Amino acid sequence: MNASAIIFYAISAFLLGSGLLAVTSRKIFRSAIWLLFTLVGVAALYFWMDVNFIGAIQIIVYVGGIVVLIIFSIFLTQQSGKEMPRPMMKRTVFSILAALFGLGFSYNLISNYGFTANATTPFNVSVSEIGTQMLSTTSHGFVLPFEVVSMLLLAAMVGCIVIAMKTPEQKQSAIRPVPVQPEMPVNIEELIITTITKKETPEEV
Amino acid sequence: MFIKEYLTDIYKGTKSLLTGMKRTGYYFVRPREIITEQYPDNRETLVMAERFRGEVVMPHDANNEHACTGCTACELACPNATIKIITKFDITPEGKKKKALDTFVYHLELCTMCGLCVEACPTAAIKMGQNFEHSVYDRSQLTKKLNNPGSKIREGVE
Amino acid sequence: MFSLEGITKSLQDWLYLNFNPTWALVIECLIVIVLAIALFAFLGLVLVLMERKVAAHMQIRLGPNRVGPKGMFQTAADTLKLIMKEGLTPDGADKFLFNLAPFVVMIVAMLILAPIAFAKGFQIWDINIGVLYVSAISSLSVIGILMAGWASNNKYSLLGAMRSGAQIVSYELSAGISILCIVVLSGSLSINEIIASQQNGWWLFKGHIPVIIAFVIFMIAVTAETNRAPFDLAEAESELTAGFHTEYSGMKFALFFLAEYINIFIVCAIGATLFLGGWMPFHIGNWQDFNHIMDYIPSSIWFFGKTFFLIFLIMWFRWTFPRLRVDQLLNLEWKYLLPISLFNLLLVTVIAIFGWHF
Repeated sequence: MNASAIIFYAISAFLLGSGLLAVTSRKIFRSAIWLLFTLVGVAALYFWMDVNFIGAIQIIVYVGGIVVLIIFSIFLTQQSGKEMPRPMMKRTVFSILAALFGLGFSYNLISNYGFTANATTPFNVSVSEIGTQMLSTTSHGFVLPFEVVSMLLLAAMVGCIVIAMKTPEQKQSAIRPVPVQPEMPVNIEELIITTITKKETPEEV
Repeated sequence: MFIKEYLTDIYKGTKSLLTGMKRTGYYFVRPREIITEQYPDNRETLVMAERFRGEVVMPHDANNEHACTGCTACELACPNATIKIITKFDITPEGKKKKALDTFVYHLELCTMCGLCVEACPTAAIKMGQNFEHSVYDRSQLTKKLNNPGSKIREGVE
Repeated sequence: MFSLEGITKSLQDWLYLNFNPTWALVIECLIVIVLAIALFAFLGLVLVLMERKVAAHMQIRLGPNRVGPKGMFQTAADTLKLIMKEGLTPDGADKFLFNLAPFVVMIVAMLILAPIAFAKGFQIWDINIGVLYVSAISSLSVIGILMAGWASNNKYSLLGAMRSGAQIVSYELSAGISILCIVVLSGSLSINEIIASQQNGWWLFKGHIPVIIAFVIFMIAVTAETNRAPFDLAEAESELTAGFHTEYSGMKFALFFLAEYINIFIVCAIGATLFLGGWMPFHIGNWQDFNHIMDYIPSSIWFFGKTFFLIFLIMWFRWTFPRLRVDQLLNLEWKYLLPISLFNLLLVTVIAIFGWHF
């Protein structure tokens, strides 16, 4: 067992342990933090495999983006600091069963494929090649998915702006929060006259 | 126009930030401007500002004479009873009785250095001194007698 | 000529000659760890003193001048005091996360140190995506702050953490885009290749006005990312008492404090690498004689000189400008810095495609 294997098993143990804690913790903020450590562990595995670009993207997207958003939404939730009630027995049993089924299913698939260890050629792809492949229109180019995803993101962005934007009425009320009352006549005589005239106008009757 | 306003905003903002940085940079490269007094080290050469209020003093001239008539205007002006004036009656050469100062008691520990007594004094007998090293080991030492022993009122001060 | 490259190379050769590769790697790791911790301790002591002295001189004061000659040992004395203080953990706090947070902040600061080239051939990890790695890891630093703010069980800490999160997430964008400008010009993500591309002049001078704009935006954005004044809303003393580290004391507080200064050093080192050529001496085009004279100054001195110049610039910002409000902070990013930097990236791309730079 060489150093590389030791590092691999250490990272895997860390990953599995924090993943297990993420689903069993009863404090929601702690769950989020354990999820974060799991994702960092995945990134560490990518770095271990020498696919640095994917590792960095994993950290930027999942750790820096998604988990931070999750933590923000936890911060804004009521009573998020309280310990959650213990889940029902039935639910626990079924979730364990689901996890075991998933494990068996994927193990079955992987064992059927039969990976062969080949350490002859180091897996090394330069970033510029990834970029070229992403925008190439040849048979293995990814330009169509790339554009579709960018359209999706653009639509999401426009949607955010629409939700956050103030309608013209809201803008008006933001400037003048209290609707201005029509000025009341101060003089009592005037008051009487106005009420009388109001009564006499045919529209009011 | 929108773009023009936007660019003007940026220009003005940058300019005002640079103005501020120019000022702090000016001070940074000129150590002569430093105004810190390294107090216990420069005790001999330390000069306090003339308007600094450290304590109330009563100046006496060379003949051990002061200008206090004992009118108690300062005592009345004092907001927290720092000053207590004890008066006596002198016999003038004409054989008349005249009110005069016996003891000017000044409680430094009560004084807030507001200067109202100095403003109230009709004969300018008291003023604010610049001494600020007032720490003593016993509170009773802070109660001071401002007129020197054997002093008397200057001739011609009414 | 004096060079660190020879030393590291001969050390590595000697290690691989006398040990098997695994042990050689372990020993190298230990050496790197010791060097990194020594650098951190040194930086902590020097930068805190520098900050206090710079602040004092800008405010027409003298600053610390009692401990040692000209107050040089002031920070050492402060560190000693902090070590001896009790590290309190509040009763209602989430104990585990509360104690973990300072270490997360510190580990993240250590991780970013890896791809920085301190001198010619003196680099911990020559990773081929250096710049991307740095911006990825620096997005982790917000986690430690959020953790600290939450676990303290204190409303000021929580508010400070949320402000800090919003701030770091938004200013990462314009910092990333101004980094991209240099990546576009030099055509590589690797720190070494970016430095090599500045052989005939630094990008700040080669790239015309767009690169200068990118540099200014980068400095503003990293000042905000390191939570320093005028963007220190996360730890605003006057309104949040100390923000996310209100409840911390003793050595745990010192770790936050140290991490702040390490982060400043790192972002300034990145800025110096991207815009001022890292360890590359000051070269002008094809003036061979001039370039040769400049080469006589060791590359490590060039690197640290540039980095400390940028640190001084950031300190200058701090002691000149008043703190921004939250809405002003977000306005500045989303209405000014981001559109300008996007437009600027377009200009830089045009320059790079047509080869208009020197």
